[in-house]
Amino acid sequence: MASIILPGPRRGVQDQLGRLHWPLIIMLSLIAGAGVATLYSVGGGSWTPWAGTHAFRFAVSLIVMIVIGLISIRYWLALAYPIYFVALIALALVPLIGEVNMGAQRWIEIGPMQFQPSEMMKIGIVLALARYYHGIRAEQVSHILYLVPPLLMIGAPVGLVFLQPDLGTAIMIGATGSAIMVLAGLSWRLIFLGVVAAIGGAIAAFRFGVLHDYQLKRIFTFLDPDSDPLGAGYHLMQSKIGLGSGGLVGKGYMMGTQRELNFLPEMQTDFIFTIFGEEFGFVGAFGLLLLYFAVIMTGMNIALRARSHFARLAALGICVTFGLYVLINAGMVTGLAPVVGVPLPLVSYGGTVMLTIMAGFGIVMSAHLSRDPDGASL
Amino acid sequence: MRVNSNDPEKKEAVSRRAALLGGGFSLLLAGVGARLFQLQIADYEKYQRLAQENQFNTRIIAPLRGEIVDRFGRTLASNRQNFRLLLMPDEAGDIEEALGKIGRFVDISDDKHARLLREISRTRGFAPVEIVNNLDWDDFSRINYELPHLPGAHPEVSETRNYPLGNATAFVVGYVGAVTDRDLQSPENEKQQILLRQPGFKVGRDGLERTYERELRGVAGAMDVRVNAHGRVIEEIKDTIRPPAQGETLGLTIDADLQLAAMKALEGESASAVVIDIETGDVLVLASTPAFDPNIFTKGIPTDLWRELNSSPYKPLLNKPLGGIYPPGSTFKMITAISAMRAGVKPSFRVRCNGKFWYGNRFFHCWKRGGHGSVDMKNSLKHSCDTYFYTLATQLDVDLIADTARKFGLDQTFELGIPGQHSGVVPDRDWKRRYYAGSPENQTWFPGETLSVAIGQGSVSATPLQLAVMAARIASGKEVRPRIVRFRGDLESPTPQAQPIDLSDEQLDVVREGMYAVVNEPGGTATRSAFDNREWKLAGKTGTSQVYRITNEERARGLTKPEDLPWARRDHALFVCFAPFESPRYACSVVVEHGIGGARMAGPKAKEIMTAVMTKDPAKLKPLSPGALAQGDETTRRG
Repeated sequence: MASIILPGPRRGVQDQLGRLHWPLIIMLSLIAGAGVATLYSVGGGSWTPWAGTHAFRFAVSLIVMIVIGLISIRYWLALAYPIYFVALIALALVPLIGEVNMGAQRWIEIGPMQFQPSEMMKIGIVLALARYYHGIRAEQVSHILYLVPPLLMIGAPVGLVFLQPDLGTAIMIGATGSAIMVLAGLSWRLIFLGVVAAIGGAIAAFRFGVLHDYQLKRIFTFLDPDSDPLGAGYHLMQSKIGLGSGGLVGKGYMMGTQRELNFLPEMQTDFIFTIFGEEFGFVGAFGLLLLYFAVIMTGMNIALRARSHFARLAALGICVTFGLYVLINAGMVTGLAPVVGVPLPLVSYGGTVMLTIMAGFGIVMSAHLSRDPDGASL
Repeated sequence: MRVNSNDPEKKEAVSRRAALLGGGFSLLLAGVGARLFQLQIADYEKYQRLAQENQFNTRIIAPLRGEIVDRFGRTLASNRQNFRLLLMPDEAGDIEEALGKIGRFVDISDDKHARLLREISRTRGFAPVEIVNNLDWDDFSRINYELPHLPGAHPEVSETRNYPLGNATAFVVGYVGAVTDRDLQSPENEKQQILLRQPGFKVGRDGLERTYERELRGVAGAMDVRVNAHGRVIEEIKDTIRPPAQGETLGLTIDADLQLAAMKALEGESASAVVIDIETGDVLVLASTPAFDPNIFTKGIPTDLWRELNSSPYKPLLNKPLGGIYPPGSTFKMITAISAMRAGVKPSFRVRCNGKFWYGNRFFHCWKRGGHGSVDMKNSLKHSCDTYFYTLATQLDVDLIADTARKFGLDQTFELGIPGQHSGVVPDRDWKRRYYAGSPENQTWFPGETLSVAIGQGSVSATPLQLAVMAARIASGKEVRPRIVRFRGDLESPTPQAQPIDLSDEQLDVVREGMYAVVNEPGGTATRSAFDNREWKLAGKTGTSQVYRITNEERARGLTKPEDLPWARRDHALFVCFAPFESPRYACSVVVEHGIGGARMAGPKAKEIMTAVMTKDPAKLKPLSPGALAQGDETTRRG
């Protein structure tokens, strides 16, 4: 076990702990702390049902992150494809043994636990693609034959998640995968072709009714939310009222009226940023955005200083996933993006997403610990 | 593989692209930040206002319904506290479980269970549903005690309509019922939608409750309340209360004591009784049996009860004094007699009755076999001699009889405010033309028909109210008009000044004396209806109207007694009267459906009712004046 955790016999565990990227850990903890505080408020000033569990889950996830971080990046390189395939098989099993919830089938129950394979795939796709580009030469990246495996690796999970149906996650997995291909050095010509193909696919999805009614409705309401204040646009309108009425400094902690009066659905998950913004105002909401931005920049910085191509791409991929969560959720509650049901990472209530995010940052941490010249022999 | 891992070319490519990615993120996050700025700083005031509007709502405070009282202020319809239990489905969690727990304290039938579930799914769980109402205090306090263990249960005290006299005043007061779609769509209620949609709000469905709905309803109050997203009130802003105004009190002419006495006298029969104050037209009694209990109707009529009431041959849903029409039989003979005098027949005109009268090509029978011998006009009434009136009929034009009948209140409705009044039928040539509009060959009036009309048979029909009015008009010689509402709110209806009927007192005295003889002279048809107190004199007239003609075949089989006929084929029993004879003040009519004989069945009941009337003599008592009912005790009633 020791040999797995320690990159070499030269360092002890204590030494390794000291070398962890503590600013990153502190920033993630601050974000999760904001989540706990907001959930406490959403729960009406109570640790139950959300805030306490959230804090506990973060503590567990933080340990998971550190453990993953302490494991040498070499092992994650070796495990990249296996993790991907486990996630892919689990995704394929969802329609067979999964739970149907709100018209979508996303969950698998393992004993008392519920588990969302699509979340695991968010890490899996990053690892697998990083592994793939780690193994090919720069001039092969844009070669037509070398395009097939990554496209298949992206296409299979995206297709399965879309069928669940979970449009938001499908888009996130697709976007993350595409981003890694771009980061790996795909030629601009191919990038252009890819964008054209994506737009074509989207139009086809509209045309041929692959989207569920509720998905279409959400997208249309996004285009004109005020037209339908009590229908599908109602939540978005209420979210904007919540944020807007927060003003510069907010209504004060636990003082949000939109929260208190239940004007928002899913306050503990999708619309938690609204509650935060209502109670802490522009100062709080913008501050939280800056914190997210700092996390992303820190992660990218770690990635660029990593010594292996796998570590670089994997860490960047995690940053992309994290950034997409933040952008889509914040965009959604402010009315800039359609309501697709993407949580705000570490703030929204939800165990699987929390674990996914923290496991991802575990990989980033692993890349960080593997960065110095001594460990360059990867 | 290791060869490629640190390929500088690859690293450089990633660095360039990562810089782009970082730039992209920065831009997008800046975009979100700008959006936050727009929402939270630039448009702050707009959203602040919307958040305020979200929070506050106006809640309607339902007004108390106006009371209905009798002429001395006795309550006929009032408001009573109704303890009920509501369920807020979104608070209840598992509905089945919640209902199961509540079911331990109150009875929830399978039917009701299913209905509740339907209602909950219809309102998508956001609106409270009424699980049970009219709980007694014990159950209500037990539920309140157990409340912490009953998720979603909300006990509530509201007002419900109460009719203390129950079925005795069912046809006067009517009843209230749940608001229907038709009520909501009625233009009259256009501005009352919110009030009408209050859970449990009731509107008048029948009787005066229905006619005076607007006056009784009152004016809703309002209060600002803080609501949550589902419209649930979470805080009442007390200083914004605009109190509701209770509906107007309706003061009736009815005397509850006498009404109850009449109901008792008619008990067990399918019958009706009306008593009118001759001077004022005040309806003192308007009794109809059997009757339903409006208190049950108010809660929602159970289907099986409704079916039972609807199919009963005793017609408990028919307001018989106003909507029941009967051939008046011999009670119509006063009209015929007056018509004859108008046509110039002297009261001294005599007819010899031998029991039957040949006219056209057949015999018309007098009710008395063997006949009455020689009778004059007064005695024709006293004995109710049919032959006398057949004889008069041969000399009379039916149009004149009809005209007389109308002078005395038949063939018309009165402004009582109670729905369901029937005008009855007084046939004449014009009526027959209209009635047979489709078949001209039947439009001719035959003189033989006038004979039937003369004894109140044939097509003649009248309501018990009309018969009481007729008695009142005969007694007073004035166009007495019945009324039942003395005042509403502070507005007193003026005591109507009845116009004299254009007939001479001498003519009227003939029939008055005839009616006196019916009750008070030996040989009169209703001598057993004379008051026990010999100082009081009742004048009256019996009537027995044929419902079914016994066929010759049946007569041959030996069926001659009406008791042998099934109930529904027996003759109706009628009696009209007024008292005291010297200075008439009260007029009364009694109709007992299929009561066989007026003297036997209707007369004694009229005597019983009129004895109660004479004993109390309500005309001598000062009735309640409007505004005398203190509004002060409203607080106690509100609870």
